[in-house]
Amino acid sequence: MIQVKELKKVYSGVIVVNIPQLEIKKGESIGLVGNNGAGKTTLFRMMLDLIRPEAGEVLSKEQSVAGNEHWKNYTASYLDEGFLIDYLTPEEYFYFIGGLHQQTRAQVDDLLTGYADFFNGEILQRGKYIRDLSKGNQTKVGIVSCLLQNPELLMLDEPFANIDPTTQFRLKNMIKDAKQKGVTTLVSSHDLNHITDVCDRILLMEKGKIIKDIATNSSTLAELEQYFAIGETASLVELKIDEEENH
Amino acid sequence: MISTFFKHELKAFWRSKNTGKNIAVRIVMAVLILYLLFNVVVIGYFLDAILKKVFPHDPLTFSFCGIILFYFLAELFSRLQLQELPTLRVQPYLQLPIKRNTIVGYLALTALFSVFNLWPIVLFFPFIFKVILHDAGAVTALAFAVSIFGLSVLNNYLALYIKRKANLNGWIFLIAAAVLILIGMADLEWHLISIRNISYLFFGNLIKQPVLALMPAALGAGMYYLNFIYLKQNLYLEELSAKKAKHKSSTEYPILNYFGETGDLVANEIKLILRNKRPKSALLMSLFFLCYGLFFYPNPAFGKMEGFKIFVGMFMTGIFIINYGQFMYSWQASHFDGLMVSKISFANFLRGKYLLFTGVSTVAFLLTIPYIYFGWHVVLVHFIMYLWNLGVTVNIVLYFANRNAKRIDLSKGASFNWEGVGATQLILSFLLLLPPFIIYLPFKYLGLADIGLAVIAAIGVVGIFTRDFWIKFLEADFHKRKFTVLDGFRNK
Repeated sequence: MIQVKELKKVYSGVIVVNIPQLEIKKGESIGLVGNNGAGKTTLFRMMLDLIRPEAGEVLSKEQSVAGNEHWKNYTASYLDEGFLIDYLTPEEYFYFIGGLHQQTRAQVDDLLTGYADFFNGEILQRGKYIRDLSKGNQTKVGIVSCLLQNPELLMLDEPFANIDPTTQFRLKNMIKDAKQKGVTTLVSSHDLNHITDVCDRILLMEKGKIIKDIATNSSTLAELEQYFAIGETASLVELKIDEEENH
Repeated sequence: MISTFFKHELKAFWRSKNTGKNIAVRIVMAVLILYLLFNVVVIGYFLDAILKKVFPHDPLTFSFCGIILFYFLAELFSRLQLQELPTLRVQPYLQLPIKRNTIVGYLALTALFSVFNLWPIVLFFPFIFKVILHDAGAVTALAFAVSIFGLSVLNNYLALYIKRKANLNGWIFLIAAAVLILIGMADLEWHLISIRNISYLFFGNLIKQPVLALMPAALGAGMYYLNFIYLKQNLYLEELSAKKAKHKSSTEYPILNYFGETGDLVANEIKLILRNKRPKSALLMSLFFLCYGLFFYPNPAFGKMEGFKIFVGMFMTGIFIINYGQFMYSWQASHFDGLMVSKISFANFLRGKYLLFTGVSTVAFLLTIPYIYFGWHVVLVHFIMYLWNLGVTVNIVLYFANRNAKRIDLSKGASFNWEGVGATQLILSFLLLLPPFIIYLPFKYLGLADIGLAVIAAIGVVGIFTRDFWIKFLEADFHKRKFTVLDGFRNK
């Protein structure tokens, strides 16, 4: 489905993404983890042709993403609020997105009834523009607009951030459902529990490189926690010493 | 603190993404302003001679006192259109331990650094020194100087106050402009009032009672205070207006369904315009410019000049393209990423822009048909310029839209969001106004004015029929710059 070849992105002399080789097969569900600045969002943006890589390319269905528009037909993505047209009501936005995929209003309405629980009565028929919704509710609109498109490839950047615990569980089930239907999913998150629960394959990024590529099993969570915890304690210790010296 | 604000603003200017463009615009502006100032200096220095020529039967001081109020009314009118509002991004300072009065005081005071405030001094002070000081003594001369300075400050803050209000509600600008025009008409056309006499009533008495100079000074100070208070109260405006929850309903424009995906895009853009204050103001301004014909056509001096019809026709049918198109695609900056990954081809995106402009320009042209009162030729010229706008201006505007990477945040309230409102914008519009004249004038001087018009029309029609070519051209051009544009739009 997706092939990444020799992909490199440099911002003012610092390499932020450097992936020599990555292959994502159809139907795989990938979790992307890594600390802030590891290059997750930059990678997403390059896969969506939103920023230009310094070198290398991303192929979607054997065709380069850059400069082409074929991938837009089967790729749905939500990275941030910048993907929403914020002066529309959620309904108008859904109709617009549905319309791009040749869905009538009735079809869109029909699909939306399936998400009534997910919306928890806070999105539809509330007489609000998207810009007046809270960040969590905006995320919900973004995620549902992705699913509405019946994509073959679904890309979500930190979808679990900003939304309440109940919705997080519902979202996990929705992603699992999509996976069952054969949708290739690519999700990034800081929540290790969720990501290991949802995804079959975890990519761990550090300073732009994929340093671990593991199939999820019972010990994956422990393995990831160990990786992230080491950095944590080390910096804590440093901080303590610092404080004592100051006093 | 004030100096810190000043330093921050300098940094913001130098580090802004569009600094290159800004400087170029500023240089053009500076040259124009210097030229105007030079003219005003000459007029000011020879004002006594000029007044003697224009009003040969009146005493010199009487004519001088008579024109002052006239000048200030005219000045207010041009200030409303041209003066730029001083800006400071206040949000980052509000929660810091900085007194509100300091922030507001800075905003209000820097407003005085405007060339407009230089003009009355250059224009009137030479006369005061040459004639009044000589005739009536130092105290009266000082009283005149204080009065003119006071009126200038009054005008300065009144114009800014109206402009700030107009940013929230476009109608206010229309009303203010209409009131000024009515006052002007009441004197010049209908002779109901005499601004000259009112002006003399004050300045004539000023010669006898120099103390009266305190009145304009007090008015100026009062207007400053009003501005100060208004700004201070409105530092909150964002939160206040956000709390007013009005039910927003979904809307549909059935007629646009005929155009499929392009129609959907246009429907979204119409909603963008109607639901956000700044683009809405741009639309209302276009309505205001539909009255431009009324300034020029009744005047017999302009009536004979074909060139003015071209200018007015272009403005009336194309002002929306110029005004709104100048900030493309910045209006959509906040969701441009989303548009780029959606299943929208850029060609259709462009077709949407063409459709929107065609629609609005057509409406504008239809609204100018009543100008047939001034002869069918006027409407013919409007139609030719309408073709030109749709065939040529649109392409130029979209070409520059591909080069515009400056974010406009529509979700921010309009009250403190003044980027690109004022003279800079008008200068750029005048650049768009030049090409038809370049084509027309050679023909006119050869005595072939009608052929000149026909050539303009022909170029417009060719432009319209080769739209597919331009769409392909603009699409290819955009793909070259896509990443720069996207990066700029992401840059808050």
